[in-house]
Amino acid sequence: MAPVHEGVNPKQRQYEAMVRALSADLYRYAFWLSRSETVAQDLVQETFLRAWKNLDSLRDAELAKPWLITILRREHARLYERKRLDTVELDDNVPEDAAFASPERSGDAAQVREAMLKLPEKYRDPLAMQVLGGMTCEEIAQSTGQQPGAVMTQLFRARQRLKDLLGGRAVAEGGRK
Amino acid sequence: MNCLEFRRRIGAEPRSRDPEILAHRDSCKDGCAAFWQRAQRFEDDLEAALAVPVPEGLADRILLAQATGERHRQVGRRRAWMAMAASVLIAFAGVGMLWRHADLNSLPALAVAHMPEEMDAMSLTEPMTDAQVEAGFVGRATRLKGPAPIGVTYVHDCTVGPYPAVHVVTRMNDEPVVALYMPGKMVDKTTEFHRDGWDGRQVALSGGTLVVMAQGASRKTRDAVERGWRAAIEGPTGQTVGRI
Repeated sequence: MAPVHEGVNPKQRQYEAMVRALSADLYRYAFWLSRSETVAQDLVQETFLRAWKNLDSLRDAELAKPWLITILRREHARLYERKRLDTVELDDNVPEDAAFASPERSGDAAQVREAMLKLPEKYRDPLAMQVLGGMTCEEIAQSTGQQPGAVMTQLFRARQRLKDLLGGRAVAEGGRK
Repeated sequence: MNCLEFRRRIGAEPRSRDPEILAHRDSCKDGCAAFWQRAQRFEDDLEAALAVPVPEGLADRILLAQATGERHRQVGRRRAWMAMAASVLIAFAGVGMLWRHADLNSLPALAVAHMPEEMDAMSLTEPMTDAQVEAGFVGRATRLKGPAPIGVTYVHDCTVGPYPAVHVVTRMNDEPVVALYMPGKMVDKTTEFHRDGWDGRQVALSGGTLVVMAQGASRKTRDAVERGWRAAIEGPTGQTVGRI
């Protein structure tokens, strides 16, 4: 459905454009952060509602995605504080998610996803921020309150761990035919 | 940049466009270009794998939630404004009613309201005796402390609103002037009024209130009558009452 712009104020237009441009990536990041579709949807909803209230503080459109990811991470942390979510083993959760019920499940993508889910959060989170959020080490460091060097080490180790989990598979070697 | 540094950087930031990294890739003879290629392919696979399906209509649901919340807030704000406006209106109406109630119960209003039933007294011309005038005041348990003004044509004990009063008409220069004395009714100050065709003054005296008023009489005549009755009720104060 095409957005109706006539009579809509600039703030609302900016917000709609932001939602349409970034909600998918934000959802994917939320999914990898929370490992749950339901929680990811709630997080994205809440993040965008907070973004609406603070939209005036966003000065640069280029910074919209890192800004939203930072808000989402805070919301995620709040969610943990509120609900004290169980930290059950991943394998118990994963099969319920539609992302893993697709035909791709038997392919390389599904195995990469499973490997990704097995990564500890300290590796999974910055990796998702980089791959899905397009954030640099400095931006991730700023968002997570770490030193850029530490983030770089986490990203390096995250990829190493992923490759280890994928074993000798072609994908781990980056060796598609 | 050496190969170790190059591979460490690529391991952390495979998509980096840092000129140093690209320069090493292009110049290295030890397989760093192939390493970079493999890293790019791995990154492609990783990006594809992380791009999980997005629930259908997610953006629309977000916009709907925001629009609904915003509308709800607007309605809330509008209601708050309307409630505030209604409060102000009610306050104004209340103040207006209080003012009107106070005004309708003021001595000038009560005095003017008393007049329609006494209009015949305005046309009397026969002067009354001092004894008759005295008797009128005695009827209200009040005694005159000075001589009554000459030209009194009417004396009667009335009730003005809730207040017992002595109603007198004094004719001066062929102009009838009404004086209503309400013993025991105290007011703070002397005030002028113009109401329903009556010009008058509410005068604070030591033992009560005197309302002097007339229709069409000159101010000079009303002043003279006021002075005459003030001297009669409170006693001579050295003032000279004009010839009546």
